[in-house]
Amino acid sequence: MSALLQTRGVGKAYGPFRALTDVSLSIEAGERLAIVGPNGAGKTTLVNLLTGLLAPSEGEVYFKNENIRGHGPVVLAERGLARAFQLVHIFPALTVAETIAAAVITRQKKRWRLFSNLAADRDVAGRVAEVARIFGLERRLDTVSRLLSQGEKKLLDVASAFALDPEVILLDEPTSGISTAEKHGIMKTLIAAAERAGVKALILVEHDMDLVAAYSTRIVAISEGKVLADLPPKLFFENPAVIEIVVGKRRH
Amino acid sequence: MSAFANIVLGGVFHAAVLFLVAAGLQLVFGVQKILNLACGSFYALGAYFGITFVGFAIASGMPAWALLPVLVLAGLIVGLVGLPIERMLRTVYGRDESFQLLLTFALLLMFQDVFRFFWGANPRSIEANYLVYGKLAGGDFTVPVYNLLVILAAILVAAGFGLFLQKTNYGRVLRATAENRAMAEALGVNVSRVYAAVFTAGTMLGTVAGALVVPTAAASLDMAVELVVEAFAVVVIGGLGSMPGALAGAVVVGLIHAYAIYAYPELELLATYLIVIGVLLLRPAGLFGRPAT
Amino acid sequence: MKPPPQIVAALFGVAALAVFPLLAPTYYAGLMIPFFAYAIALLGFNLLFGYGGLLSFGHAMFIGFGAYGTAVMAGVFGVKSFELALAAVVLGSALAAIPIGLLCVRYTGIFFGMLTLAFGMLFHSFLFKFYYVTGGDSGMRIPRMNILGLEFAQYNKITFLTGPFYYYCLALLVIAAFAMWRIVHSPFGLHLRALRENSRKAEYLGVHVRRFRLAAFVISAAFGAAGGAILGFRIGLADPELVYWTQSGQLVFMTVLGGFHHFLGPVIGALAFTFLQDQLQSLTQYWRFVLGAILALLVIGFPAGIAGWADLANWRLKSRKAAA
Repeated sequence: MSALLQTRGVGKAYGPFRALTDVSLSIEAGERLAIVGPNGAGKTTLVNLLTGLLAPSEGEVYFKNENIRGHGPVVLAERGLARAFQLVHIFPALTVAETIAAAVITRQKKRWRLFSNLAADRDVAGRVAEVARIFGLERRLDTVSRLLSQGEKKLLDVASAFALDPEVILLDEPTSGISTAEKHGIMKTLIAAAERAGVKALILVEHDMDLVAAYSTRIVAISEGKVLADLPPKLFFENPAVIEIVVGKRRH
Repeated sequence: MSAFANIVLGGVFHAAVLFLVAAGLQLVFGVQKILNLACGSFYALGAYFGITFVGFAIASGMPAWALLPVLVLAGLIVGLVGLPIERMLRTVYGRDESFQLLLTFALLLMFQDVFRFFWGANPRSIEANYLVYGKLAGGDFTVPVYNLLVILAAILVAAGFGLFLQKTNYGRVLRATAENRAMAEALGVNVSRVYAAVFTAGTMLGTVAGALVVPTAAASLDMAVELVVEAFAVVVIGGLGSMPGALAGAVVVGLIHAYAIYAYPELELLATYLIVIGVLLLRPAGLFGRPAT
Repeated sequence: MKPPPQIVAALFGVAALAVFPLLAPTYYAGLMIPFFAYAIALLGFNLLFGYGGLLSFGHAMFIGFGAYGTAVMAGVFGVKSFELALAAVVLGSALAAIPIGLLCVRYTGIFFGMLTLAFGMLFHSFLFKFYYVTGGDSGMRIPRMNILGLEFAQYNKITFLTGPFYYYCLALLVIAAFAMWRIVHSPFGLHLRALRENSRKAEYLGVHVRRFRLAAFVISAAFGAAGGAILGFRIGLADPELVYWTQSGQLVFMTVLGGFHHFLGPVIGALAFTFLQDQLQSLTQYWRFVLGAILALLVIGFPAGIAGWADLANWRLKSRKAAA
């Protein structure tokens, strides 16, 4: 089984400042990878490199065995790599249905159809309803996005990423801003949705170690721009030194 | 040689006036993020009012040498119109940039008829003679001393602003508010008052520029509309929001203007726009500005 | 952006426009041709502004392309058919818009506004530089051309403009509106709106932000040129003042007046502006001031424009019915 998403010796420097050094990861189908680490460690940089928003200073990133250098988020979205953001990103004036439809249009390759009537397109409408149902948003289809609750906005953000039918989906702190009581429910929904949607690999950036312990199959810890650990959860949580660095340095 | 000197001097004079207008634009944009399409209207206002004010001063027995200071005074007085206008602009702060542009465009339309009402549709000239300051002769060219005085005034303003923004406390307050309005407010800065002061100062720079230019050129309705494009060229080339940029951009545009008038009159505006487009494409931040999205 | 009640209103509007020249004084019917021209041009403008979120201060340039293009077709190439000239300028304007657009759509907001303003003024100075072709200040003549292959020689200018040409332009407006309606309600239209709302997220959903903006720019150029051809034909002249940046500002004014959030807003705005300007001009010589004041009040108080006001009235009516 060849790797779906792979980085080889990837590094990123901003002038003299080193954000990431020599990160080599290989993500296979069936994995639920959690990326953890203290703030400023380089997690977001890594995610930006993985999704084509940034180009690496050294090393290469491969998606489905093709080097993604020079390709941006748009092309990767077409190819099957989706991302949902940490800070909720929505289209304030578009409805839930329209937001999901935007992704479905990309997936069904209808972007350049200038004269076809979107409202009458049953393929699009059907898929939109389906995705909405998976995320429990079917009753909010005609609601304008800016009127949704924070939790619903988060779900919509993720739902629209799922609507791309991606093979790999990257979720940047999917439960941030969600109350603790709801976090587990959201994670279960996401994982079930991923499975139903045929997503092959899930990458999570998370701070909440309970969620990481419960839902990931593999944990990669980043600290000061380097990979500190790359272990399955059981081994990861048996390692106190790693936990300490990830959760926060002890005060001196 | 004389042609070259004339071009340079003419260009620098034009640059001096442009700098004053651009400095006003930059100040307002830098602090309040408003790009004022009515900047040309303030310029024209200063010109028209300068004519009237000087006429009045002469009738009251103004000595001929007082022309320059009287013009500056006229500009400062009529620049106070910036206060009520800023109050009106306050209603659209924080809204989409498009609305701000549109509101200043509405101001431009209104000002055109204000000029018509008070000063008529024909170009107006000043009564006083700026040659009262004499001419300076050097080699085979001459330049009116008045022009040199204006250039000097612009340099003083530039230097003054530089010092003010860098060295004084209020200057620091301005720069802080420009960087981060919310933070400045949290630190106790009365942002509304700062905005009012900044906008009025910006207006005054424009009106004084118009007043100063009026001895050498007639005041006309076209002034308000034509200047906007040149002023924009200056701030784009120099970099939006940057004072040194206003100076650099003004010099570039002023010199092109002067050279083009001498060598290829039809090319004058063309050359300016081409450079604006070139700068926007190659280095959108301009010579001194910070890169924008 | 809104469903069917608009279509009913539009049909009513077309019917009203159709009977207008039969009922109204000739003078007012004559005012309508510029309205048709601007309405078509503004439908294109609003694709870029209302739907795409890009405010252009250079749209008058495309109207200029249309007018001057028609003048060139008729004067230089001896084309007699208005349709042929129309097709040529629409295509030409779209092609010209590609390189200009490629440069402009790299930016948004103020920079986009300034770049479009600069290009518009660049074209304006071209018109003066190449005065031996364009007639410089005096402009270029546009002779009477054949509509649908017919000369209508028996009509004098006024009866032609308020008769056959009026209905011809009405038909053109209906066609243009229909085309724009389809574009706006297509998958492309949704992606355009998405990138206006949040271009970063739109990218992640596979929206080619720059390419789509360019497409919107080119389409707006095509519509602008169509309006320009009609305008030039009506005036009989392609005038450089058509292209000055304040004309672009006026186009924005019309759009905001009508309501840029609505599909038909720009059309309403063009109509309202045409009559407003005409009435004001007969009332006072300071009509520019009044127009400026109206724009200021609009921006400050009610940026949703006439269409927005109609929406509000409609909503109030509905809530009153629901409460009853």
